[in-house]
Amino acid sequence: TQAISLQAPPTQRLASTFVLAAPIAGKSKEAEIKRINKELANIRSKFKGDKALDGYSKKKYVCKLLFIFLLGHDIDFGHMEAVNLLSSNKYTEKQIGYLFISVLVNSNSELIRLINNAIKNDLASRNPTFMCLALHCIANVGSREMAEAFASEIPRILVAGDTMDSVKQSAALCLLRLYKTSPDLVPMGEWTSRVVHLLNDQHMGVVTAAVSLITCLCKKNPDDFKTCVSLAVSRLSRIVSSASTDLQDYTYYFVPAPWLSVKLLRLLQCYPPPEDAAVKGRLVECLETVLNKAQEPPKSKKVQHSNAKNAILFEAISLIIHYDSEPNLLVRACNQLGQFLQHRETNLRYLALESMCTLASSEFSHEAVKTHIETVINALKVRGVGPLRGQERKGLDVRAGGGAWMSGYSLEREVVAILAEKYAVDYSWYVDTILNLIRIAGDYVSEEVWYRVIQIVINRDDVQGYAAKTVFEALQAPACHENMVKVGGYILGEFGNLIAGDPRSSPLVQFNLLHSKFHLCSVATRALLLSTYIKFINLFPETKATIQEVLRSDSQIRNADVELQQRAVEYLKLSSIASTDVLATVLEEMPPFPERESSILAKLKKKKGPGAGSELDDGKKEPGAEINGGMEPSASTSTPSPSADLLGLRAAPPASLAAPTSAGNLLVDVFSDSPAAAPGLAPGTDENFLRFVCKNNGVLFENQLLQIGVKSEFRQNLGRMYLFYGNKTSVQFQSFTPTRLPQLNIQTKAVDPLVEGGAQVQQVLNIECLSDFTLAPLINIKFRYGGTLQNITLKLPITLNKFFQATEMQSQDFFQRWKQLSLPQQESQKIFKANHPMDPEVTKAKLLGFGSALLDKVDPNPDNFVGAGIIQTKSLQVGCLLRLEPNAQAQMYRLTLRTSKEAVSRHLCELLSEQF
Amino acid sequence: MEKANFSEDRHTARVAVKPDFTWRNAVDAFRVNVIHARQQVRSPVTNIARTSFFHVKRSNIWLAAVTKQNVNAAMVFEFLYKMCDVMTAYFGKISEENIKNNFVLIYELLDEILDFGYPQNSETGALKTFITQQGIKSQTKEEQSQITSQVTGQIGWRREGIKYRRNELFLDVLESVNLLMSPQGQVLSAHVSGRVVMKSYLSGMPECKFGMNDKIVIEKQGKGTADETGKSGKQSIAIDDCTFHQCVRLSKFDSERSISFIPPDGEFELMRYRTTKDIILPFRVIPLVREVGRTKLEVKVVIKSNFKPSLLAQKIEVRIPTPLNTSGVQVICMKGKAKYKASENAIVWKIKRMAGMKESQISAEIELLPTNDKKKWARPPISMNFEVPFAPSGLKVRYLKVFEPKLNYSDHDVIKWVRYIGRSGIYETRC
Repeated sequence: TQAISLQAPPTQRLASTFVLAAPIAGKSKEAEIKRINKELANIRSKFKGDKALDGYSKKKYVCKLLFIFLLGHDIDFGHMEAVNLLSSNKYTEKQIGYLFISVLVNSNSELIRLINNAIKNDLASRNPTFMCLALHCIANVGSREMAEAFASEIPRILVAGDTMDSVKQSAALCLLRLYKTSPDLVPMGEWTSRVVHLLNDQHMGVVTAAVSLITCLCKKNPDDFKTCVSLAVSRLSRIVSSASTDLQDYTYYFVPAPWLSVKLLRLLQCYPPPEDAAVKGRLVECLETVLNKAQEPPKSKKVQHSNAKNAILFEAISLIIHYDSEPNLLVRACNQLGQFLQHRETNLRYLALESMCTLASSEFSHEAVKTHIETVINALKVRGVGPLRGQERKGLDVRAGGGAWMSGYSLEREVVAILAEKYAVDYSWYVDTILNLIRIAGDYVSEEVWYRVIQIVINRDDVQGYAAKTVFEALQAPACHENMVKVGGYILGEFGNLIAGDPRSSPLVQFNLLHSKFHLCSVATRALLLSTYIKFINLFPETKATIQEVLRSDSQIRNADVELQQRAVEYLKLSSIASTDVLATVLEEMPPFPERESSILAKLKKKKGPGAGSELDDGKKEPGAEINGGMEPSASTSTPSPSADLLGLRAAPPASLAAPTSAGNLLVDVFSDSPAAAPGLAPGTDENFLRFVCKNNGVLFENQLLQIGVKSEFRQNLGRMYLFYGNKTSVQFQSFTPTRLPQLNIQTKAVDPLVEGGAQVQQVLNIECLSDFTLAPLINIKFRYGGTLQNITLKLPITLNKFFQATEMQSQDFFQRWKQLSLPQQESQKIFKANHPMDPEVTKAKLLGFGSALLDKVDPNPDNFVGAGIIQTKSLQVGCLLRLEPNAQAQMYRLTLRTSKEAVSRHLCELLSEQF
Repeated sequence: MEKANFSEDRHTARVAVKPDFTWRNAVDAFRVNVIHARQQVRSPVTNIARTSFFHVKRSNIWLAAVTKQNVNAAMVFEFLYKMCDVMTAYFGKISEENIKNNFVLIYELLDEILDFGYPQNSETGALKTFITQQGIKSQTKEEQSQITSQVTGQIGWRREGIKYRRNELFLDVLESVNLLMSPQGQVLSAHVSGRVVMKSYLSGMPECKFGMNDKIVIEKQGKGTADETGKSGKQSIAIDDCTFHQCVRLSKFDSERSISFIPPDGEFELMRYRTTKDIILPFRVIPLVREVGRTKLEVKVVIKSNFKPSLLAQKIEVRIPTPLNTSGVQVICMKGKAKYKASENAIVWKIKRMAGMKESQISAEIELLPTNDKKKWARPPISMNFEVPFAPSGLKVRYLKVFEPKLNYSDHDVIKWVRYIGRSGIYETRC
């Protein structure tokens, strides 16, 4: 596409051709609009069917229209004229026609057929410029329709023997574009193998375009293009070894074909190292040459020269890292990067660090990288902090380079953290380094870094005392970074006792030091500090009074933040109620973290993303890394004891979540294995729903905003249900629409879309049971509360048993019928544990509520319950007998249901069994 | 409360007036966010960082008032307009050149008309007594104290001791009539906003009383004399709201509804008013648009003048919008000149003069270019401009009495001129 856009004439040229810009530009907006209106009227009168325009004026006016469109005005005519231009034989006319079409014609236009026809003609013509124009147009539009029409045509042009170089180039790029927009439409076929041979083409432009295409294609089916490796290597070696003057047009500031080299190197990164020794040898030779060239003195002082050279070099280094098999090269690459680390150029340093990061994970270059740790740290100390300030002072344009600077900066932090960990022998040195890092550049340290430091400290007994001391000293600084306070709070809370012996860091001094930072910190940090305080109460009972005082103060116990308030209240109670033993258990020292992969390394791997070596990384990544990375500061204080909940640490109580929908994830967990629960059901639906099996009235749903009450009555196969929607807030609900999801034959009446604050609206549902069913109908309620759309889905409490008609019968009749229904599929039996106290009266009430008649003196065992009834539906009636046998000792029930229909038995049995 | 005023030129954006240093960045903020805003700022009030900027624009000069408080926006704009008036009275057109040349004068004026953000005396006549553009005249102590007492006194807008050989006054009733009419000729909305401008060359401290055919006044008087109600009852007009120049005694207006005042010397706006009932619409536009197929449109517009045949309307201009895909227009009109102006997408029909109770018509054939756009033409309304020598609201000046008890000239000696001009505001008819 690069090449294509270069060939399209810039708009300035368009404008100056017709001296249209001069009167338009420069004046006020109003004048411009007037001028354009006039111009448009003129063009309209010219395009007015009756007189034929010659090609030149047609081109002129289409071009003007295009220019006006580019100025931001709507153009709704002239398309036909532009399409006519396509059939012209003059290059300029055709060009303007294509330009207009690629800018202005949208794909669903009626003209698209004509356009496609014109493009087809041009593609079939022998004229290379026309072919190029057509190809550019296809690529610039790049729509699916274009792909459908031409995707099969272009490969043919690309590999045809008699196609001109420039056309081949355009065809390759055009195909690339189509492949990117709709890969499914580009047919793979025998042409693929011939595309690979384009790498051998004489014309460098064709090669460059082909490499781009192949790089993209081979990502999908690498096997088809395997042969390209050796070709690419030989091409690369020819370029690399050529003298700077050999390639003439393709030499850029004394660097031969830098773009092509970079693209070739990138293509090679799609494949593993070549197996053929000769090819491999040649490639290694190439890479060595590239590395050698980096050492040569620059041929030009121009920045373009060094940029081009470095681009190749960095790509070569990435390839070396990708292969990860040539120790010699790796070491050289590493040394080269080390050199760049000391370079003055910030971007270069940034790039070097990035490469260094990936390099660090390679086996072979361990040693080499290690030698550069000092350099890296120096880069941090000397070049990192110092020059940034210095540069600001110098008033350099921070805006331009700022982005790169900052990211580079944070990257440096990470690199240091990673390198430090990887090569840390002495953990006290590690702690030192990281704390220094946080101290110097806290803002740029990601959360993972300080999580990691705490993990390390907790897991290593030997550094705990040292860490506590260091942290304590670091906190002495009048202004210290919040991350430092976090680390400090955590470590002192755990290991403050190790340094409490020293009068200079007595418990109270520690506490005062931490508390002096307290008020300047964010909520998360303050929450962490509160946990530290409660730990202090355990560690140093002498501080109890002071800390309780702090917790009791209004700024804690009545803090507006729920988290802080809850912590303050609970910690205060915990400290005043619990005995020292309990405290000691609850606030025990943190257990060591399971030794996992460093969270920082995990992050680094993630960051590398779907690049070259991603498959390898994916394999290595442990499932635990995620959890580790996601560790929250509040979670860090949770103890393994059951009182963890009391501390309320991990999750903020969901009570504060107003919208029921936002609790959706919670719901999925609860109901994920219940097939009846539709996705997105409001929480608590099922419990409520079950309560309604045996009763007809009550509250179906309630949250902070809405209460839904139900009143229903059923007779035979008909029922009527009243739903009362009560607005619990003082604010109006807008566009309130309850809609029933279609399942039963239910007639609903529409509801007023506005529900005033505190008001209640009623909805009547007329229900008719057509045949037996198992799934309860759903109702979906949508409304606007404030600005947000609330969406609640509920099960309507309509179950099959609602259509139960009780039947009284004698013992004799009962058993007769019971025997009649003796087929195995007619019976459904369930034995289950009682969930509620086994009160016969309650059970009786529930059975009556369920709808069946209770038959006395039928069962020989007086404790058993026996019922009978008929399920009334429109299509059929289902006789139904039930027997419930409680076993008071075992707290179990046995429920047997016999009906004439298998599904009904099973469903009723399930429904009823949930009730006891 | 305005803290500072600055006016800026569109291009140079320089602080011209009152460069209070704390407000330097306010100036910058205004320049960046309003004057050179990427999108044209249409609201006259802009809030930037809890600071409100009220601006008016005079050609390429921006006048902005700045405040951080919740001030009366109408008052601020009134002040800005007053400031424009004062500046115009002092150095003519408000242009970049004039502002540059009168920097010092503007400082001086601002000093006088605004103190600590509170608007002060902005009456040009009074200001001219002590802020002069001529060289500094050495004033005697007496004169100075006289100016002080006058400016701070009860009648700050007029100085004593004015003498004219010929006592003369001019009254202009300037109205603009606004209309929106349906194609069927139904009035959808109409109102008249008018001004009474007075130019007085009167000696001494004359007491004036202005009378017009205000419905309330007429009815009140009607109780006394039955004769007058019969004569002018139907001609009285209902004024919806009005505002007065500060010289009018409002207490008297409230109690007796009579407008009495001691006028400033020279030109001033005595009152502003608005009426919505019984408006005389000077012209009626009858449009007829017929679409002939997809490529042709026939438009016929008839205008009827609706006033006394003896009066002549002037500068009549009818603007008939054309569709956006117009490719050619043929116009035939009996009177005046008509032309298709492509740059404005309209047919403009101009008639120099037209007497009352006449009608004139134009017919046009518009050729359209078929487009692939399915959008239908929105048919904007036909608008009209004109000037008529009467007040469309029906307002009549009944009297303007002048009393000067100290000097010996009576009401009869004063030469009075009254003129009515009715102009079109937004005068549109849908088609």
